[in-house]
Amino acid sequence: MTSWKEQLGDRIPDQLAGEVELFEGQIELKKQGKLDDKIFAETRLRRGVYGQRYDNGLRDDGTGQKTLTFPCGDLTKGPDTVWDAPGMMRIKIPFGKLTVEQLEVLSELAEENSDSILHVTTRQDIQLHYIHIEEAPDMMRRLASVGITTREACGNSVRNVTACEYAGVCTTQAFDVTPYADAITKYLLGHPDVQDFGRKFKIAFSGCEDNPCGLVTFHDLGAVAQVRNGKRGFRVVVGGGLGAVPVQAKVLAEFCPEEELLPLAQAVSRVFARLGEKQSRARARIKFLVQKVGIDEFKRLVAEERETLRPDERWTAFLDDLHSTDEKPVREAGEIPSDAPAGFQTWAKHNLKPQAQDGYFSAIVKLPLGDFTSTQGRALAQLAQDLTGDSMRCTVEQNLTFRWLSGADAVTFYERLLALNMAEGGAGTITDMTSCPGTDTCKLGISASRGLTGELRNRLSVIEDELHPAVQALRMKASGCFNSCGQHHAADIGFTGVSRQVGGRKVPHFNVVLGGQWTENAKSYGLVVGAVPSKNIPKAVELITEYYLANREGEESFQAFMARVGKREFRKVLAPIQKPPPYEEDPSYYSDWGNPREYTIGDIGVGECAGEIVPFVEFGLQEAEQQLHDAQDALEAGQAAAAATGAFTAMVTAAKALVRHLEVQVKDDSDDVVANFRTHLYDTELFHDPFAKGKFAEYLLKMHGDQSYKSASEEIAHSTLDEAQLFLEAAHACYQRLTEAAAAAAE
Amino acid sequence: MQATKFQVKLYTKTSDIELEKLVPVFHEWIRAKKISDELLIDVADYAHVPQGPGVVLIGHQSDYYVDVADNRPGLLYSRKRGFEGDLRAGIDDAFRRALKACQLLEEESSLGLAFATNEVLFRVQDRLSAPNADATYDAYKPALEQSTAAFFGGAASLERVGDEREPFAVRISTGANGTVADALARH
Repeated sequence: MTSWKEQLGDRIPDQLAGEVELFEGQIELKKQGKLDDKIFAETRLRRGVYGQRYDNGLRDDGTGQKTLTFPCGDLTKGPDTVWDAPGMMRIKIPFGKLTVEQLEVLSELAEENSDSILHVTTRQDIQLHYIHIEEAPDMMRRLASVGITTREACGNSVRNVTACEYAGVCTTQAFDVTPYADAITKYLLGHPDVQDFGRKFKIAFSGCEDNPCGLVTFHDLGAVAQVRNGKRGFRVVVGGGLGAVPVQAKVLAEFCPEEELLPLAQAVSRVFARLGEKQSRARARIKFLVQKVGIDEFKRLVAEERETLRPDERWTAFLDDLHSTDEKPVREAGEIPSDAPAGFQTWAKHNLKPQAQDGYFSAIVKLPLGDFTSTQGRALAQLAQDLTGDSMRCTVEQNLTFRWLSGADAVTFYERLLALNMAEGGAGTITDMTSCPGTDTCKLGISASRGLTGELRNRLSVIEDELHPAVQALRMKASGCFNSCGQHHAADIGFTGVSRQVGGRKVPHFNVVLGGQWTENAKSYGLVVGAVPSKNIPKAVELITEYYLANREGEESFQAFMARVGKREFRKVLAPIQKPPPYEEDPSYYSDWGNPREYTIGDIGVGECAGEIVPFVEFGLQEAEQQLHDAQDALEAGQAAAAATGAFTAMVTAAKALVRHLEVQVKDDSDDVVANFRTHLYDTELFHDPFAKGKFAEYLLKMHGDQSYKSASEEIAHSTLDEAQLFLEAAHACYQRLTEAAAAAAE
Repeated sequence: MQATKFQVKLYTKTSDIELEKLVPVFHEWIRAKKISDELLIDVADYAHVPQGPGVVLIGHQSDYYVDVADNRPGLLYSRKRGFEGDLRAGIDDAFRRALKACQLLEEESSLGLAFATNEVLFRVQDRLSAPNADATYDAYKPALEQSTAAFFGGAASLERVGDEREPFAVRISTGANGTVADALARH
């Protein structure tokens, strides 16, 4: 055989084969210069072929930015994206269900086209990194031959549909949501009504209200299983999201009968496509549309749209066989042997969950940072085949769950994991951290979220058994930037990467976000307590957990504790470790975890006075931080309007500091500050983030324009605080860029 | 169509290895362009994955792993693209680059690494052109024997390893007991 196309022949479904052919043709057209950069970029994104860090052909090696001279010359695969530069392939695994055959093929691709690592994402996808775009079509063919498509894994479309990994075997579910998640996946994939979104659209299913697996509240569309009067249906929520501004989804329908689920999703999609923001990506997610028109008006729009839909037999066809997605165990049910070894008991404590079906268990294979090797992948496929059945599920906590494990086989299962070095216990505990790729591979990463979680894992795993149960039970999550792919808002202790300018150098930091709630489908989000140097985060965890243990009342949960003592107290706890030492004293603070390169760009000169003179702008930014903290306190005290006003004031203060840094005369009143900010920083694009562009500046401009902060509700105040936090981060980043530009000009 | 995605692994003499020390070394290799005829891009740290790829120096043409697969640390050279030549030349090139990387690692005093030359694992990461089957072994064996002799001298013994789900792989007992430098000098 000379090609995978020939080799696989009719094993590839016609439609998928056609799509891959088309993509291959587009690759050729792009190479011939016959396809526009932006169009090709969106084309590949919609096929799951993503960019990766340094794909603009530039990389700072710790001594300055260097050009990576790829052999392709000027050929690009999108704006500022070099053709030959490695990219990432995101592979949709609907509701995380992975068959044995699929896992074997994924493992093959990981070693033939990537670096032998399969990475489970926080949305139940599998990602492979360091892919060359010209190898993507054959990879897609091999995936298609086992029923996987990467279509719409990225881009402005319906992303992977996620669901509880315990769907069908859960002890608390209303019913198995798997066939519904499967139906909506198939129905919306490539549907004409989902092709004209301004931004991505994420759907999640949960089998019950109280357990967290589905996490529907931070999804664009979420469905929670319910049975009313013996009839199946869903409580449907809409407009949730994490990202830069986390928002809890609103209830769209208290009870949507099962036969109405698909048309309702279609109607929502049509409303979003028709009325959602298209020009400004910053406000293009459906949450902004819901906020803008209000949930009642949004409901009316959806109901109106629903009436216009032409009936489609697929809306209900799947209901005729809701058992089509059922799984069959390969072994008889049984009890766990009473003489199971001690190591097994420790592992089983957190990694083995009884199923609704007597004598069966779900076993969680805890993956370090969501990674496993191709060799392990093949062995896990064999393990499933031998003991649990044809499939397993990727989880939103970046693990793999094997269902239908007979109690009688549990020890054997554990021992086989042990042989693979995969029998790590503590699933769902403080050592089971999730993290986005961060600066390791993501173009948007600010800090090394994987480096940090790796370090925390190393430290905590040594003392895991000695930790107090209340600390063991805490969840920690890290995101490398404000986009929140690590889902840190929903963790007890979350981290989001930011950078700070100290003594003329950049220092990697993480904002510490405390008090998020993972349970009840991520019912509430944490709030930023303050930025801590990356290298002090392990100490921060120590201080936070010690303070919690020393001051909690009875069995008080971390959320309840946080609500009682408030952020102000935690800020005091963290205050001693928020300032990094000068570079000359300890340069390790000036590089990130797992990366020895100096975090700052090396060509910034360190003048004689750099460590001693604090420019005015830094005082201004510091003042703004304090104002924002006060605003957060006001929100905690139930003063929503005061909190929102304080957040606006903090933004104005930061804007004023930057305007003055440009040596522009500015008055103290907000109108003058905003006008000057617009002229000198927004219109000139000096404030623009390299990726988010003018998004953060627009928070200030919009707030100043509509004055909505003056009468903000609690929810609006929460959003305003988040926006102000991001504006301040952007102000710090802008200041860094201005400093660097000035230093470069001086040279 | 001839496969070019060859991998060659040489094992360290001792099994204890501190992977984290590789990270700054590989970053420095990028900065200093230590492998001058290849474009080196970044470092991927998988030290947290048991029996995994360890620390990887990602390049455009090739990747260089110090991996710990099967709990046996070693240098794994992995060619991804960019080679033109016949099978023997392709194997020779992979052997040479693997040995050269071992030599560079041995020169890094912070690592304290030494590589054995008595055993080499050869793999082809291309199931289309080189499935793990007897026919592939028959096709590769002569060139592998010639390359082994050219670098390591003496009589080598070859054994195909793994099953059809795994990449085509051959474990070579070279019969040599010399140094990496000896092997490079011989060829």
